Amino acid sequence: MFQVKADILSKEEVIPGVFSLTIVSPEISRNAKPGQFVHILCGSENDNFVLRRPFSIHRVVPGRAFEILFRVVGKGTEALSRAKIHESLDVIGPLGNSFTYSEKLESALLIAGGLGVAPLIFLAEELAERYVKLYPMIGAQEKAKLLCYIDFKRMGKKTYAATEDGSIGHQGTVVDLLNRTIHQIRPQVIYACGPKPMLRKIAETADEFGIDCQVSLEAKMACGIGVCLGCACVTKKGYKMVCKDGPVFNARDLVWDQDEVGRLPSGGCMCETQETQDSD
Amino acid sequence: MSVNLSVNLAGIKMKNPVMPASGTFGTGREFSEFMDIKSLGALVAKTVTLRPVVGNKPPRICETNSGMLNSIGLQNEGIDHFLKHDLPYMRKFKVPIIVNIAGNTLEEYAQMCRDLHGVEGVSGIELNISCPNIKAGGIAFGASARLAEQVTAAARYNTDLPLIVKLTPNVYNISKIARAVVSAGADAVSLINTVVGMSINIKTFEPCLANITGGLSGPAIKPIAVRMVWEVAQTVNVPIIGIGGITTAEDAIEFLLAGATAVAVGTANFINPRATIEIIHGIEAFLKERELTDIKQIIGKVKT
Ligand SMILES: Cc1cc2nc3c(=O)[nH]c(=O)nc-3n(C[C@H](O)[C@H](O)[C@H](O)COP(=O)(O)OP(=O)(O)OC[C@H]3O[C@@H](n4cnc5c(N)ncnc54)[C@H](O)[C@@H]3O)c2cc1C
Ligand SMILES: Cc1cc2nc3c(=O)[nH]c(=O)nc-3n(C[C@H](O)[C@H](O)[C@H](O)COP(=O)(O)O)c2cc1C
Repeated sequence: MFQVKADILSKEEVIPGVFSLTIVSPEISRNAKPGQFVHILCGSENDNFVLRRPFSIHRVVPGRAFEILFRVVGKGTEALSRAKIHESLDVIGPLGNSFTYSEKLESALLIAGGLGVAPLIFLAEELAERYVKLYPMIGAQEKAKLLCYIDFKRMGKKTYAATEDGSIGHQGTVVDLLNRTIHQIRPQVIYACGPKPMLRKIAETADEFGIDCQVSLEAKMACGIGVCLGCACVTKKGYKMVCKDGPVFNARDLVWDQDEVGRLPSGGCMCETQETQDSD
Repeated sequence: MSVNLSVNLAGIKMKNPVMPASGTFGTGREFSEFMDIKSLGALVAKTVTLRPVVGNKPPRICETNSGMLNSIGLQNEGIDHFLKHDLPYMRKFKVPIIVNIAGNTLEEYAQMCRDLHGVEGVSGIELNISCPNIKAGGIAFGASARLAEQVTAAARYNTDLPLIVKLTPNVYNISKIARAVVSAGADAVSLINTVVGMSINIKTFEPCLANITGGLSGPAIKPIAVRMVWEVAQTVNVPIIGIGGITTAEDAIEFLLAGATAVAVGTANFINPRATIEIIHGIEAFLKERELTDIKQIIGKVKT
């Protein structure tokens, strides 16, 4: 991982409220793997918010730069959307683990809800170079909000789309689309990124069909490098950190059920009681 | 003109007064990719407990104006794991190591002090007394002068190492607690730990943290911390480690002026992994600019 002051090479508002930034960093570009993320300081020193914001590496310009794709949802992303070309950003990366695949992988289904598509383009480009047969599946409310449809098309991939209003592709959710098509496609592996309830349903489908499934999770994080232990998620082997053990997890290792989470042991100093501690 | 940045913290010889705050720096491993750990005045490990602690349910953190709330819940692998795996790694940096410990009972604190006895590379023990004492009905050791005194005495009886007691700001009179721990044998005090706080998501009506409340840290708490360091410096005669919202050299200098002999940097490490190093350089530049030759010339020099 590197901490760099990196220039913005280009910026585009892809659809209203969603921006892509290309950021110059040979270090990050050379070392990045699909699924990894960068941690960016958004806004100026005078803003009264403090923490960095995590963004998936959307694609790399080999040896030179990398791209992120983000939606404006709050003050950090709002500040980042105002950054100008040639301005420099304080970026740490590449961080986290990555999607994994075997040398022998022949087919993969890539499924995303909304901005979840961000890390999947990088993955698709890498897998395409290895001649893996890809089935991209993306969803949005309407055609105009569908992200990266063109990108997959340009790669020559048949792209499965789902829109809530049916303005393109299947009318309904991307999960419906998956459930309708999975038995024909039968991929060796499913890679998924998006909101947690969606990931959970995808994991259930994958499980039913005995298909390996890797999901990229999100969590509020502070350090991004595995020291603050803030971005815990619940796995069958206990708490794991999204920033360092993840963001990519095997769906089978995760505990999805909130009730199950409720029964987990928890405690500050109290090693063996259910009491919790206020803070550290 | 060279500047002397070294300080002696209750027998711990530090080449400069800057160290990371417990729980915000891991063992230094991750940070070693961004900076030279050897340049630090000391290393402070995350709180270790007698047995492993799994930590609290997520979400564990949330950002607030100029700060953050955390309820990590002292997740750690226990002291045996620490001694076997973490300490040997930390020793490689050849800087003084302060081990921060927390227990549920006086006996647990005592036991850990004994476990640390004679261990190579341990330069001091910091007692995290913000933990609730189960026997006393869950009240934090650090929230009662009597309990704080007892836990310090229990540790003192079991160690010859420099003993630092880390004070919680969640009390009415921090000077009273400071006096109690010093009378029980503390060689130094560090303050402050996090300030209890709460944040609510108005979209969902739910608390932002699963634990409901958490500890506030970052620039938001700095004025509270500076005031408390200044008050405690008036009260006791032992060195103080100033902690709370330190992000820049200027912040650190405020604490030194208020009476801190050393400072610890917490939340700022998450934003800028080079924060500690930049603070050290900044303090040096500040002294040079004023043609001061020794850091001790500013410690406690606030004009009141
Ligand atoms: C590993 C990882 C990769 C990510 N990749 C992308 C990406 O490629 N593109 C993209 O648009 N977003 C991505 N996110 C989410 C992105 O980090 C958040 O949208 C961003 O931090 C929000 O910051 P803000 O200040 O604008 O919003 P805030 O004001 O902090 O919050 C606004 C809203 O966003 C939610 N939010 C805040 N932080 C996070 C977070 N870390 N994860 C999930 N939700 C959050 C809040 O709950 C709130 O509802 C990723 C998150 C993680 C953990
Ligand atoms: C994520 C996090 C974890 C912490 N863990 C510990 C800990 O294990 N032991 C401890 O004594 N203090 C812990 N602290 C408190 C810090 O050491 C420090 O006292 C506090 O954060 C105030 O300093 P700051 O504003 O510079 O962060 C933690 C703080 C944070 C933010």
